[in-house]
Amino acid sequence: MMNLIKQAAFDLSNDSITEWKKSNHPIVGYTCSQVPVELFYAGGILPVRLRGVGIHGLDIADAYYGPFICSFPKAILQSMAEKKLTHLDGAVIADGCDSMRRLDECWRRASNDYPHMRLPFFHYMNIPRKVADHARDWFIYELQKLQTLLMSHFNITITLEDIEKAIHLYNKSRKIIEQIETLRKFNPPKISGSDAFLISLAAESMAPETFQKEASAAYEQFLSQPAEISDGPRILISGSAYDDIHLIQTIESAGANVVGENVCFGPLHRKTQVSEKLSPLEALMEHYLLTCPCPRMFGRFDYRLGLLKEQIQSVQAKGVVLQNIRFCDLHASENGLLEPELEKEGIPCIRLEREYGSQTDTGRLRMRIDAFLERIT
Amino acid sequence: MRPEIREYPFDWMLHKSMHIAFDSLKGSKKEYQCMLKYMPYFQGLMDLLGKYDEPGILFVDLVKDAVDEIVFARDQGKKICMTTFCFSPIVLLAMDVVPVVMEPLTVLPTILWKRGTYDFMNYCFEVGLSETSCSSQRGALGAYLAGLCEPIDFIVFDSGGVCDTNANVFAFSASYLNKPLFQMDYPASFLDKETREYQRKDYRELISFLESQTGNKLDLDRLRQGLEETHKQDLIISQIDEFQMLKPNPLPPIFNLFMYAGRFLATSKPGYTKLLESMLHTVQNNADQGKSGLQSGTEKCRALFCYIDHYSSDARMWNFLDDNGISHLGSILSRFFPDHAPYLQGDEINSGYHIKLDTLDDMIDSLSAINARSPMVKSIRGPYDSPYMWLEDALAFAKLYQADCIIYSGTPGCRNTWGMVKPFARDTEKHGFPTHIMYSDAFDERVESFETTSLRLAEFFRVRQLI
Repeated sequence: MMNLIKQAAFDLSNDSITEWKKSNHPIVGYTCSQVPVELFYAGGILPVRLRGVGIHGLDIADAYYGPFICSFPKAILQSMAEKKLTHLDGAVIADGCDSMRRLDECWRRASNDYPHMRLPFFHYMNIPRKVADHARDWFIYELQKLQTLLMSHFNITITLEDIEKAIHLYNKSRKIIEQIETLRKFNPPKISGSDAFLISLAAESMAPETFQKEASAAYEQFLSQPAEISDGPRILISGSAYDDIHLIQTIESAGANVVGENVCFGPLHRKTQVSEKLSPLEALMEHYLLTCPCPRMFGRFDYRLGLLKEQIQSVQAKGVVLQNIRFCDLHASENGLLEPELEKEGIPCIRLEREYGSQTDTGRLRMRIDAFLERIT
Repeated sequence: MRPEIREYPFDWMLHKSMHIAFDSLKGSKKEYQCMLKYMPYFQGLMDLLGKYDEPGILFVDLVKDAVDEIVFARDQGKKICMTTFCFSPIVLLAMDVVPVVMEPLTVLPTILWKRGTYDFMNYCFEVGLSETSCSSQRGALGAYLAGLCEPIDFIVFDSGGVCDTNANVFAFSASYLNKPLFQMDYPASFLDKETREYQRKDYRELISFLESQTGNKLDLDRLRQGLEETHKQDLIISQIDEFQMLKPNPLPPIFNLFMYAGRFLATSKPGYTKLLESMLHTVQNNADQGKSGLQSGTEKCRALFCYIDHYSSDARMWNFLDDNGISHLGSILSRFFPDHAPYLQGDEINSGYHIKLDTLDDMIDSLSAINARSPMVKSIRGPYDSPYMWLEDALAFAKLYQADCIIYSGTPGCRNTWGMVKPFARDTEKHGFPTHIMYSDAFDERVESFETTSLRLAEFFRVRQLI
């Protein structure tokens, strides 16, 4: 059980992807949680969230990116250059943040030196940083533009009905993840934080139908045969993009239970389903723009603080790990604001800065986590 | 923050410094010489300002007035708005709002005070701002976050979609200080219909925000006056820009700073017009005599600063350029893109703004167009190699101004340019322009001392046989 899921969580060239590839349907990578996956799937394209997994250095990426840049987009670039993502037929680079949007140029330039990186479909997607009426219109305009480009490049049709069906399908995945999340609400939880997070990660790295089958089976199994988990302090992780279970494992091996994440991986991070009542593009806009909990949406700190507090209450977290990747100014500063707000309400917090990917400084983090746990227990 | 730093209000200290600088420069030669011994750490800066006589004095006067406006705003019943250098403050002035522009307010003490703005920069981290955030705002921002300045009323910024680190600083400040905020954000493209329409709508929303914050309606007459004066200033800047194309370049390096700092602090004000007229006079005189604007009178090399300048203490960067015979051909800060700018005349499509004054709608559209061409907003909102963006602009300037080399100076906090400056530099090299990337922080010498920065620069000029 969980083999396919684990594989998908750690490897973007997993069996589910290979299987999909055999069907001759395209696969497109995307960089940001604000890119609506439903739009791709509606045209028979498998969307895969790009991640920098399976690399051991950033030497190639450092030749294009400058030194003061977040290691997440660098890792994606390195993965591409190291041929870890050879199944891609296209990529959509969204301007999620400055570091990520510059992946567009670095990738294009790197493809001159590494021709296998040159993808037939390559699109830079604009996403507004506010939710005013004209920003909503702009987001819908960007969706329509992407839809048209996908149709013309892949010679497919994407009707509004197709999008509606894709929304329905992905909502089903969200529902399953929500069910799995309920297992974390038990005290002690019936599933470990690392297993739960693996399932969320896998959702963005495999075909939705396969994911649903595998994740449902996992849910049933954890429900009937809960994992053996000790009654440790309940921790929530919040902050920068995070797709590596090592931090969770470090926390859990220190005797705590990670009962929730507020990071931009996994469909849960927005909690809600995509509306099936609104017109499909409106629904996507509402979900991916209006409810986006990323600090790139400037001036919405109170909204995000509210969401985080709700989540803390819902999972009964006793402490919050506010982490950020070095040079992720958006999350680092947001964490600087969140910490006093949460502490004021009696919710202990710790701020951790780290690099993206497998931890190179587990010892340092473990020491700080131990100290934090000592404080809250 | 050290307790003794908290004893002195930041803006009042700056106010005092500027008044003393102004009085010193206005004094007789003997008085000025006598004063120098009391200012051991910024004699270079004073000399730099003093050696151009009238423009230097007018510049100090302009800055002094701008700081005065901030410290006396409350007494005059005016609202104070925290904003950024890439936002054109014309609309604020037309609504009787005093702009507090973080970047020039960081630069001034950085070049003027021995201790720079380190204490204030560090204070930002103390209250939670990311330590990797851009230093260009932090110098002044720390003082505002610490309550060492006249309190601000609201915040306006337009760096959404342009520079996240910039936008983030203002969003953080709004939450920390609990102040209302308005952000404008920009699509990556520049001239297409959708983008223009978005900018127009965004700008109108800004005006509603300002009206709600000030309780005032946008004053049509003041706006018209402000835009007329801006147009007048733009025309002079275009003339100076044209002179800068000459070989040798008759523009003294420091005039670039006068030009953009004046624009950020006093756009549409008569003091800035007077400064520009005086600068033009000096430049014209030099050009008539076929003289370089450098003190030595000999131009050995022409350097285009493709991003910003370097604000080391005592303004040593400009003296370095002057001493080494390196002519400064401007940076993204000194190009504003009015439609009559000489660098736009050869374009197939003139991408500049045109100031229209007929109706209120025309004027608002003009403001929106000016803003859309502010530094950074124009050049780095989209992929650097897209039409009208950074590479195209830099190459066009390098060719038109006959640059011998291109220099990148920025800050480690600039995620946006550090994300692509390496490919950018490879492209400019391919086009035949030796390009140097400075790894220093333009606002914080603790990252790299100016001694190191200047050694590296000197090595670049020497190795590439530019001087």
